[in-house]
Amino acid sequence: MSTASSSPLLDPEFLHKLEQLELVSRKIFVGRMKGERRSKRRGSSVEFADHRNYSVGDDLRHIDWNVYGRLDKLFLKLFLEEEDLHVYTLLDTSLSMDFGDPTKLRYGKQVAAALSFVGLVNHDRIVLDTFSSNLEPGLGSVRGRSQMWRVVQYLDNLKAVGTSDLTAAARSFAIKHPGKGIVVVISDFMDKRGYEDALRYLLARNMDIYVVHVLSREEVEPELVGDLRLIDCEDDDEAEITVSAPLLKRYKETLDAYVGGFRDWCTRRGIAYIFTTNQTPFDKLILNYLRERGLVK
Amino acid sequence: MNPPPGLPMIVPPAQANPLGGLNLQFDPPVPWSAGWGPVFWAALAGVPVTIILFYFLKLRRKPVQVPSTFLWRKSIEDLHVNSLFQRLRRNLLLFLQLLAVLLMMFALLGPQMKGSTRVGQRYVIAIDNSASMSATDVRPSRLDEAKQRALALVDAMGPSDLAMVIAFADTARVASTYTGNKAQLRERINAIRPARTGTSLLEALQVAAGLANPSKQFGEGQVASEVQAPRLMVYTDGGFPDVEGFSLGNLVPEIVILGRPPSGEAASASRAGDGSSTPPSNNVAILALQTARGEDRPDVIQLFGRVRNYRDEPVETTARLFLHPLDEPIGDGRLIDAAELSLPAGGTQAFKFDLVDPGPSGLEVRLDLDDDLEQDDRAFAAVGRPRTARVLVVTEGNRYLLNALTTATAGEAAEVVEIRPADLETDEVRRALIAGLYDLVIFDRVAPEEPPAGNALYFGVMPPGEAFAEARPVEAPIILDWDIAHPMLQYLRDLPLVLIRDALVVDPPPGSTTLIESDKGPLAFVSPRDGYSDAVVGWSIYGEDRQLNTDWHTKLSYPVFLFNALRFLGNVEEALGEEVHRPGQPVVLRAGAGVDRITVSPPGGPEDEIPRSDLGTFVYNDADEPGLYLVSWPDGEREARSVFAVNLFDPRESDLSPRGIPPEGVSGRQAEPYLIKIGYTEIEGTRRSRPARLDRWWWVALGALGVVLFEWYIYNRRVYI
Repeated sequence: MSTASSSPLLDPEFLHKLEQLELVSRKIFVGRMKGERRSKRRGSSVEFADHRNYSVGDDLRHIDWNVYGRLDKLFLKLFLEEEDLHVYTLLDTSLSMDFGDPTKLRYGKQVAAALSFVGLVNHDRIVLDTFSSNLEPGLGSVRGRSQMWRVVQYLDNLKAVGTSDLTAAARSFAIKHPGKGIVVVISDFMDKRGYEDALRYLLARNMDIYVVHVLSREEVEPELVGDLRLIDCEDDDEAEITVSAPLLKRYKETLDAYVGGFRDWCTRRGIAYIFTTNQTPFDKLILNYLRERGLVK
Repeated sequence: MNPPPGLPMIVPPAQANPLGGLNLQFDPPVPWSAGWGPVFWAALAGVPVTIILFYFLKLRRKPVQVPSTFLWRKSIEDLHVNSLFQRLRRNLLLFLQLLAVLLMMFALLGPQMKGSTRVGQRYVIAIDNSASMSATDVRPSRLDEAKQRALALVDAMGPSDLAMVIAFADTARVASTYTGNKAQLRERINAIRPARTGTSLLEALQVAAGLANPSKQFGEGQVASEVQAPRLMVYTDGGFPDVEGFSLGNLVPEIVILGRPPSGEAASASRAGDGSSTPPSNNVAILALQTARGEDRPDVIQLFGRVRNYRDEPVETTARLFLHPLDEPIGDGRLIDAAELSLPAGGTQAFKFDLVDPGPSGLEVRLDLDDDLEQDDRAFAAVGRPRTARVLVVTEGNRYLLNALTTATAGEAAEVVEIRPADLETDEVRRALIAGLYDLVIFDRVAPEEPPAGNALYFGVMPPGEAFAEARPVEAPIILDWDIAHPMLQYLRDLPLVLIRDALVVDPPPGSTTLIESDKGPLAFVSPRDGYSDAVVGWSIYGEDRQLNTDWHTKLSYPVFLFNALRFLGNVEEALGEEVHRPGQPVVLRAGAGVDRITVSPPGGPEDEIPRSDLGTFVYNDADEPGLYLVSWPDGEREARSVFAVNLFDPRESDLSPRGIPPEGVSGRQAEPYLIKIGYTEIEGTRRSRPARLDRWWWVALGALGVVLFEWYIYNRRVYI
């Protein structure tokens, strides 16, 4: 455990980086209506979108009487519906996230905080959820920049506990949040049950899914030596290995195959996949990676 | 998996050697480390098994908590696809450990090339330092090579082994008694100097046999001894005659032959052509050198020599004669003559130098060539002053005897004093005899009470002493045989014609040489006495009552015999420098009366003072080097000087071809001439010393340590193959 993980998340340096992020994000959004996102759904806003034929049962208030006067036919005026964008963040707080320097959990917290900050600044609705063996009750629906302290406070109080069950958490999440929006899943995805079912639950909700795959440096470049009995910190599973060059090579091949397979799987389903280690500065990740991936416009 | 190596090797049990313990090539095989029991072996064999089990049971794995075993499991599963062997193959550390353990087990096995017992191997290291071992056909010399071999053997000795060192040439000298002190053994071996003498293995064998066969029973030859037979290592070039009359008992000699072997072709060719010739070697040697005064011109010294070529090619060389005057230390000498020599391959040539008598001086002949043995390229001779022997004749007026001693030739050689038997009782004569004033005393039919201090010649009477008390008179003996090789009987031809009426015969005491044999027994003999010689002739010219007893005086052999006796017993030859001295043998010197000490200057050595011995002579024991020895003593106002020469004229030493190993392709009966015979046993030598019982376990242990270190390095530096 590093000292960095025990220090509060809201340290001056972190806040400074968030400030920078705010400026940068404003620059990105310059020339646009702040705090607004147009939904594809036709709705009841003031912005006209289209006409369609009247059918029985339609709201009479939406009939375009001017057109009826000219053409003697009933048309309905359709408007683009304005709605709040929901940004859901699903953070893994299982014990496996408590490794690395900084820990993967702290790194995940930073990413979550940064994304929330960007969202709050853009007047999006932020929902923070965490999960380990199941979905934990999280921070529901905050909005506005003034709420940033709540986000930070909430994230600060998170502790790594329990085993991870992404599938169960995703099912609960899908039930709990039927609405559409963006969901960012931050996890190490070291779940022996796999990630496919979990992401399918989310896909079924027609959400825009972003996967942030966080691994510690020790997992990417193992520094193990000798004859070891590896103990899984979550389920106490044991694996006995004798570290050798072939084994390390094999491990890296396995890791690459896993990451590559994950990425392919995500890409094929329209899921944005971002792989990172805890060594990548989170603000850089936010700016570069998320922009490239389209998470931030 | 294969059963782990390191199980006790199955070794055939020791076999009795049908040759009675004499086997040069191989010792009877002996189980390794016979002292260890089966429990030990089982435990030892269990070690690698345990290590492998440890690896499989993973008893020593370090628990490490990781975020997830998810990826590791997948990796291991991939590796599990490979076979178990594959996994083992990859496991370098395990193999290094197994290797280390195997090395240590090998060390525990006590890796001995051939062994007998764990404790107390005894070695007798016999090093031949004879003249031929100075040959340089193996660099730097055969002796140095022998020393190196012996040192290697000493280095290989175990901590409980003992060794003794014998240096042998014509005599054997114990250089070091039994000791386990390697430093002392090395020092003693290094201190062995080359001797310039011939070779006799018998002495070395006798010394070694005394240790090897401590309870030897004569007759049956059974040895009932618990003492382990020492291993006799003989480092030699085989240049010695076969040893006869010696039984090896349980002594197992191992003869290491040094020297460059003749090529098989040349060796077999020479054997095919001439049965007696030996394989060629790179040496040309002077085998004889002797001075003599000219028969007709006494003022001319003749120098006869003989040179032999041992090479298989003709040799052209020059023999140069150098004169060493006595009035200065013996140096390089002055070249006074030279002779061209043309020697056929394997042939001999004689040479002769005539020179005007230079007075007492040393002569040296050198051959101008380069061969493997330097010593025999030089030969020395001494020219003495013509000296007359002082002879006392005790006779009752035997004029035949006196006449024969006072011929012109004899008169040059001897100064004869005649006394009557009655004069023996006078004090003057007694003192003179005890003081050794006379070189030779001739007793004619009268024996003294005490033998004189000098050589004696008895006619018709026996010397005093118990050994001659058994003498018995015989009548009319007939002379059957005589020793023509003896100097006293040279040129005697007509002895069978001599008639004898009465004579005395006796069995000569031990050490005597019989001169004349008759049908009744030995008529004449020479027996040694305290450094002198007593020559006894069993009959005299006159018998009882002055009756003629024989007609010998009418024969030519009578004066010749007396002249020979004057030369041989009167020390005349020695004075002429004709006596041959061999290296390592005591040289008896005589000086003027009244001289207490003489000084001997050996070639290249410090001067040596020699006191007069009880016998009136001066005995010099350190004539080990061939060369000219300058002798000086005060003679009144000035210093008297003399010289004697020491030479090794030994064809066997000069023949450098190593003996003891048959050439390639020669076996069976044909190989017999090449073998060295000791008693009735033929021994084939070996070229290299058979590996001794070398305790090399510490090397293996070091190797194990190295492997462990290497493993440590690999473990820490994560070196992967």
